[in-house]
Amino acid sequence: MDLPLIERAENDGVTFFLSHAKLQVAQQPLYEISPLPVAPRIPQRFPGHGEQYRFHFDMTQCIGCKCCVVACNEQNGNPAPINWRRVGEIEGGWYPDTHRFYLSMGCNHCLEPSCLIGCPVDAYQRDSVTGIVQHSAEACIGCQYCTWNCSYGVPQYNPERGVVGKCDMCYDRLVDGREPACVNACPQGAIQIEIVNTDQWRQEYSGSANAPGLPSADDSISTTRITLPARLPPDIKKADFWRVRPEAPHWPLVVMTVLTQLSVGAFVAIWLLQLLGASARLGVAAAGSLILGGLALASSTAHLGRPIHAYRALKMWRRSWLSREVLLFASFSGMAGLYASSLWLGLPFSRALGGLTAMLGGAGITASAFIYLVPARPSWNSKFTIADFFCTGALLGPLFAANLGVGDERLLMLIGVVAASAQFLIQTLRILRLMASECLELQASARLLSTTLARPLLLRGALLLAGGIALPLVSSRIAWLIAFPTAMAGEIVGRYLFYVSVVPKNIAAPYLANAREAA
Amino acid sequence: MNLWRTLGLDILSEKYSYGNDSQYGHTSAQKIPDHWVATTCGYCSVGCGMFVGVKDGRAVSVRGNPHHPVNLGKLCPKGLSEHYTLEAPNRAKHPLLRKNGTLVQVSWEEALDTMVEKFCATQDRYGREALGVISTGQLVTEEFYALGKLVQLGFGTKNYDGNTTLCMASAVSGYKRSFGSDGPPGAYEDLQKADVIFLIGANIADNHPILCQHLEANPSKTLIVADPRVTKTAMMADLFLPLKPRSDIALLNGLIHVLINTGQIDCEYIAKHTTGFAELARFVEKYTPPYVSQITGLSEDLILKTAYLYGNAKAAFLGWTMGVNHSTQGAETVNAINNLALITGNIGRTGATPFSITGQCNAMGTREAGFTSGLPGYRKFESAQDREELAALWHVPVERIPTSRGLAYPDIVEAAVGKKIRALWIVATNPIVSFPNLDVLKQGLETLDFLVVQDGFHPTPTTELAHLVLPAAIWGEKEGTYTNSERRVSKVNRTVDPAGEAKSDFDIFLALAQKLNCREELFPGWSCPEDAFEEWKSVSKGRLCDYSGLTYELIEQHNGIQWPFPEGTTEVATTRLYSDGHFPTEDGKAKLFCIEWAPFPEQPNRQFPFVLNTGRTVEHWHTRTKTGQVPILERMSPNAWLEMNTRDAHSLHLKPHDRVDVISRRGRVRDVELRITEIVAPGQVFMPFHFAESNANQVTQSAFDPISREPNYKQCAVCVQPSNAPSRDTSEKAYVR
Repeated sequence: MDLPLIERAENDGVTFFLSHAKLQVAQQPLYEISPLPVAPRIPQRFPGHGEQYRFHFDMTQCIGCKCCVVACNEQNGNPAPINWRRVGEIEGGWYPDTHRFYLSMGCNHCLEPSCLIGCPVDAYQRDSVTGIVQHSAEACIGCQYCTWNCSYGVPQYNPERGVVGKCDMCYDRLVDGREPACVNACPQGAIQIEIVNTDQWRQEYSGSANAPGLPSADDSISTTRITLPARLPPDIKKADFWRVRPEAPHWPLVVMTVLTQLSVGAFVAIWLLQLLGASARLGVAAAGSLILGGLALASSTAHLGRPIHAYRALKMWRRSWLSREVLLFASFSGMAGLYASSLWLGLPFSRALGGLTAMLGGAGITASAFIYLVPARPSWNSKFTIADFFCTGALLGPLFAANLGVGDERLLMLIGVVAASAQFLIQTLRILRLMASECLELQASARLLSTTLARPLLLRGALLLAGGIALPLVSSRIAWLIAFPTAMAGEIVGRYLFYVSVVPKNIAAPYLANAREAA
Repeated sequence: MNLWRTLGLDILSEKYSYGNDSQYGHTSAQKIPDHWVATTCGYCSVGCGMFVGVKDGRAVSVRGNPHHPVNLGKLCPKGLSEHYTLEAPNRAKHPLLRKNGTLVQVSWEEALDTMVEKFCATQDRYGREALGVISTGQLVTEEFYALGKLVQLGFGTKNYDGNTTLCMASAVSGYKRSFGSDGPPGAYEDLQKADVIFLIGANIADNHPILCQHLEANPSKTLIVADPRVTKTAMMADLFLPLKPRSDIALLNGLIHVLINTGQIDCEYIAKHTTGFAELARFVEKYTPPYVSQITGLSEDLILKTAYLYGNAKAAFLGWTMGVNHSTQGAETVNAINNLALITGNIGRTGATPFSITGQCNAMGTREAGFTSGLPGYRKFESAQDREELAALWHVPVERIPTSRGLAYPDIVEAAVGKKIRALWIVATNPIVSFPNLDVLKQGLETLDFLVVQDGFHPTPTTELAHLVLPAAIWGEKEGTYTNSERRVSKVNRTVDPAGEAKSDFDIFLALAQKLNCREELFPGWSCPEDAFEEWKSVSKGRLCDYSGLTYELIEQHNGIQWPFPEGTTEVATTRLYSDGHFPTEDGKAKLFCIEWAPFPEQPNRQFPFVLNTGRTVEHWHTRTKTGQVPILERMSPNAWLEMNTRDAHSLHLKPHDRVDVISRRGRVRDVELRITEIVAPGQVFMPFHFAESNANQVTQSAFDPISREPNYKQCAVCVQPSNAPSRDTSEKAYVR
């Protein structure tokens, strides 16, 4: 990559850094003595080879006044609910030896930015000179995958715009030799910009990038250097430790994941029945499954802030699981269309097409599950997620096919029972894992499921047992007929719980919940 | 919804674009103004210099003034978002008169006619003193000066006081008693130059955050903080004194005891410049470290260490705020503080001062130029010479100048309840949130024949009770001067037009004087605030707060100038009072007082086991009429909370974030979010007072300092229950067996 910083500076006729600081030059303050030793808060040069900019946050200086938050919102014209810089609290000790410290954080401009790595449309760029991780609103399609990937909760979705935004260290101010808004606003000088040698930082970051109340810097190698107080009480913890709120349910994604899995499961069932020699109503079932698959893909675009640009999500298939999911499900739909047509028209090679459809579908579900295997969202980040998604397909697919009257309904029902039993086991194990874990976010998920979300969890279990096991085991057409919608409802509630019960890693927050909507 | 937006073709790129401001650089394009107007912040008395960015007649941005000596370009979160207050949805825009029970829009003409008619009718029927006026610390000095004359000489009632009595009246009284006059002797620069900084009941990190940078600029300081709560300021301290609530007098007496006994006092200063030392020395004999330790809960070691540090300081800064003032012994505590400063000679020198950190942006202005607890220019009602001086300056008969102070704020409220005050005029304050023991105040206001509320905001809980609402211009819409805590007079400028039909308080006062036919007498030839400033200069001439050398131009040129600045002063420099050791008392010496410690009035018992402390949070200002309308501040601090110690919460089986009710003998605050924390001591709870929705003043006490009349906001006895619990009988009767 070129050196945009230098180029821009030269094009603009800017002599770099040293000649600026317009505000400092003008006149001396009127005090008898210069009241504040004006330590430079930004580097007096730009980074050289193997170097980049980073934030330094001095926790010993921060008084939690939140000037940085207000200044950041003013700088970027953001509405109140969006805060590219946030201030959290950590607290510990015993009266009167009590300690509360504040954590002010924008973007950490990580060496391995998980936002960038996961982005399906390549909206993120790491500036080769400054190391600043920049986000392009123009390129962004509002899929919000970066908001799941970042352990610090840095990228934030702006529903008014339909795109994500984040701290860019006030790149354009730095270019001008000016302090970023937060740095400039801090009355305590607790935030500075420094130059870091990236290779060296890789060796030593764990000592200086970690702090109580922060997720591990290992996830993405945060470059922010934090000066901690000499003495921290051993029991210090996030002020928001006890406050857990359900996450957004993402309904379009609930519908999309359940329906794609159902569609894949149904096609696999149809193909297996075809292999076993069935022929009746295969075409009808395939057409039905295809329609559901199509609905799923349509639903997924409703999740996007910019649905019209959904196609851009194919771009980063080499790197992003989200791109791969889109690519594989699109291929699956195409192949399933061909397979359904071949069944309908009685064309040759339909078994081969069915096999390809099943393969692509399986691969699609795998890619879909891998989207959720992100360190920043611990309750998703487990093999149970993959198993969960496949079980949903294996349960709903056969039940759906049976409802459309394909092949041996008893066999399909039995497959469903096996899948439902597996799902039940998986969900039980998953909750046990949450409860037994020492990870704070997993404990918090367990707490959510046992309190706020206890009712939907019980409902989910009951629907699964009824629709997936009890009803299919009853030898009655009517029971079989209602087994599918019951099981389907169970999986939908289950998927809803999957989304709302995740407790993301994040920086410590204040004790009081921020008002979600501005006044 | 816009289809282009729904599809994702439109991402509001223009709204979210950036541009380059010639003064402040790259920033959001919507925040780039056509021009910047220099002014002073309208929130607290730190007095920060700022620029307001004005674009198409709207204030779009605020930035700190990097050349202002107070804040050096920095602002707190309230200041940084102050432009939003100008366009708050609850701005009062039209005069409203209550007709048939509802407030309806009327013309200014009708509003002012009605007001004068009602006030005069009330005064004719019940006597002049049946009219009460409660003002504020939020106006510009020129307006305070005009209002004082209008009320005392125009309407002719002396029952006039400000909400400053809820705030720093104790500091005023304390200064007057010790030094013979009000006026903080020191300067912010002293924070940078003192070697010991001792803060008592002052949480500057939350309440005056911009002052912290002056502390930070002092590399060799030792910071001592006395506070019952482990505030952020306490956490910054080198030595923290977690004393029991209201034991500060005992602590101060104890320190004096130790200093006298170890000889760490300035005998020469005491002899030359103070009276009453012998009595004081005898009086503090009983305040031995063991006795003080027992009262304060501090170890003897800590007391001795503090005495040692303070006694050995070359220059000690002794600062306080509401922890001291909000007390039935507020004025006396200030005297005890002054005692400590005086016997060690820590006054009138660089770094050395007893310093009241004031509250509102221009509380100081009303203290100087107002006409409430004293005559303008720190003159005394009781002094015939002062009255004559004023009468001569104003060309009015001396008999028109009252010989004593009228009713103080709480006494006006009590008189309203007792129907002695029949009509009340409230200017720029919101007592329904800020006054203690709310129900008494409500009864008083509802009993009135006529209530006028003049405010920049409507509805507020107070304007809702008014018979007449006068819409006033606020900070940013008018011109004048503010004085900050360090006596720095700064210029306030008009940046935009007043909201709707709102008028500046100054214009309202002049219009009322016109209706009263006293405009030419009281405000001869006045048309703008500068006319008032010119007259005020002549009134202040020769007084401690001498403005006579100041002009608007000079003040702006220097980003604020400290008084005294007598005519002929050529050099603008940091000033301190009493540098010559001469005090404006009869004998020219400062008085030492023997101040006895007494426990706070409402002690906890079995039924009301907790001591409730009230205070602030950095995001909000007073009763939130302004900050409650600023979205970013509301987001960061959306609701009230109650702090309770872990051990107490455990014994009450309460969990973090539980909703609780706080109950006292007087009332109940419902549904407050519980914060379990070691910030507060066992047996104490803390709650912010900003929130009308969870109003701490439902439970606070009607207990007032007999000297300053300041309410005792900082301690009252309460119990705490889960909000959904069946209500216990907590009436007074249940406990008086």
